[in-house]
Amino acid sequence: MIFFELSQRNIRLNWLRSLLAVLGIVIGVMAIASMGILGNSLTLSVTASLSSVGDSVIVIPSMGQQGGMGGVTTANELITERQVQQIQRVAAPNDMVPLYSGVDRYEIGGEKGVVTVYGIEPDRMPILVDLADGVFPRTTGGALAGAIFAEENDLKPGSRVTLGSETIRVVGILEEQGMGFDINPDFALLVSDRFYSQVYGQEDYDMVIVKVADINDIEEVKDGIDRALNRRGEDVVTVYDSRAILEVITEAFGQIALFTTAIGGISLLVAGVSIFNVQMMSVTERIKEIGIIRSIGTKRGEVLRMFIYESLILGGVGAGIGGILSFAGGYAVSIIMLQTTEYLFYPSSLVYIPYGIAIGLIVTLLSGLYPAWKAANLNPIEALRYE
Amino acid sequence: MEEDLGPAGPGNGTQPVIRLEGVSKVYSLPFGDVIALDKVSLTIMPGEFIAIMGPSGSGKSTLLNLIGSLDVPTEGRLYIDGQDTSELSDDELTELRRDRIGFIFQQFNLIPLLNVFENVEYPMILKTRKSIRKSRKAHEILMRIGLTDSMLAHKPKELSGGQQQRVAIARALINDPAILLCDEPTGNLDTKTGEVIMDLLKEVNASGKTVIMVTHDPDVATYASRKITLVDGRIV
Repeated sequence: MIFFELSQRNIRLNWLRSLLAVLGIVIGVMAIASMGILGNSLTLSVTASLSSVGDSVIVIPSMGQQGGMGGVTTANELITERQVQQIQRVAAPNDMVPLYSGVDRYEIGGEKGVVTVYGIEPDRMPILVDLADGVFPRTTGGALAGAIFAEENDLKPGSRVTLGSETIRVVGILEEQGMGFDINPDFALLVSDRFYSQVYGQEDYDMVIVKVADINDIEEVKDGIDRALNRRGEDVVTVYDSRAILEVITEAFGQIALFTTAIGGISLLVAGVSIFNVQMMSVTERIKEIGIIRSIGTKRGEVLRMFIYESLILGGVGAGIGGILSFAGGYAVSIIMLQTTEYLFYPSSLVYIPYGIAIGLIVTLLSGLYPAWKAANLNPIEALRYE
Repeated sequence: MEEDLGPAGPGNGTQPVIRLEGVSKVYSLPFGDVIALDKVSLTIMPGEFIAIMGPSGSGKSTLLNLIGSLDVPTEGRLYIDGQDTSELSDDELTELRRDRIGFIFQQFNLIPLLNVFENVEYPMILKTRKSIRKSRKAHEILMRIGLTDSMLAHKPKELSGGQQQRVAIARALINDPAILLCDEPTGNLDTKTGEVIMDLLKEVNASGKTVIMVTHDPDVATYASRKITLVDGRIV
């Protein structure tokens, strides 16, 4: 095509400014694609580090207005045995775990520190945690150590831990679970409920977790507990489910991903402006030439095409190179920001490369439209006379 | 250079190739209307060699632009090859220029991005919508017009003025137009080269093409078979 040929030659003739315009698109596409990949990898990695369970309904004492004016929460509000039984009735046949949770000082072979302690009925422990080593406690003196807590303190089944003034024996080590919304056992010690209530003198529970067998029942269970316990219009307990939190967090990170991509989009916008500028220059410089080709029989549409081709060549080359480089860019930001590239090869990450290329092409097409239109609609007589 | 430069286009015969009936062209300017052409009537028959003369501002260029279908009259009727130009769309006017009219300018106006050969081929490619490379027709015309093979791959700016004008003539002839429009064809050339170019145009005219030329040089005008003088937008 003669018009494509002319576009190409003009780009080569003005190679430096064409190169700069292409560079703008390369950077723009790279920014969009790399930021998109980063955002998506971030979301993926956060979701993966959250414990995958979305099947818990968590009941905690309401921390609402009971505390009075000062906003002081009443820490002694707990879930009573009677309330636990109410929950049991509503939640059945799903598994339910009432538990204590607190923080205490510990000492292991002279090393001192503070650790989260959960008190759970040993029979119900398997509902919440998995063992990596050892066994579940059979006596009140037995405890389970969270994966990271065990690793940091070099605990093995058989190790002894002094908790406050009592000494307990670690009988099992837990699998690493990741951050959860019910309990966070990785950094904790799990003791039997009887041990906890004896040592800390606490009868009522801090939290009740219901594991819903069928995920579709989750709303029903949640609402059931809410109705049963928060009867008189006042919030005695707060009921929430882990799936909703997971959704909120995923959504939040999705928005962060969108935001980072939008930042990339700004640089593409700037690139679009530079294409516009280059094309306007190209049109202005070639007014006389446009007059010549119009007078010897080139139609408006053909002039339009010639200039559209020109911007599309710039955009196409830029977007192509940008697409290839954004793979490297995505790799680099993943390494720097996430210290891993394992999320780079997910389709949901890689899809940002064609996205970036497509947006780059659309931006150049839009930027080239007005200059091309202007060129096509020049008055041939005036254009011919132009010096 | 005595051989035929191709057949003249249709319209060869009794039908006029150009006919103006009371054509006016008015330009609206902020400080009032300017009448560039005032009810001009003119008939040009196929094979004529017309010189349009007159002082600057007399409407020569306007008349040439109208005949070249670069512009349409404000009033009156203009027929090119029997076609009423006022009824044509911009695309149709463009096609008329492409297929029926050859333009020769004072400043040669070759396309700087294309080499000599491509410049000549360009209107043909527009017409046939095909990418003909190294067509025999373009080569033939270029050789007949007096260029050598070694010049063909050069860019226009690398040639002398006379050579560029030859290329422009070759380009104007490539689509076998009925009419050749020349705007001061020798205005940028020295006297000797100008004579060569005028001889060439005379030859093209002898082969049957209608040549319409704007000039203010009386010597150049002697090549024409008929002179039309414009003053203040009117033929005198």
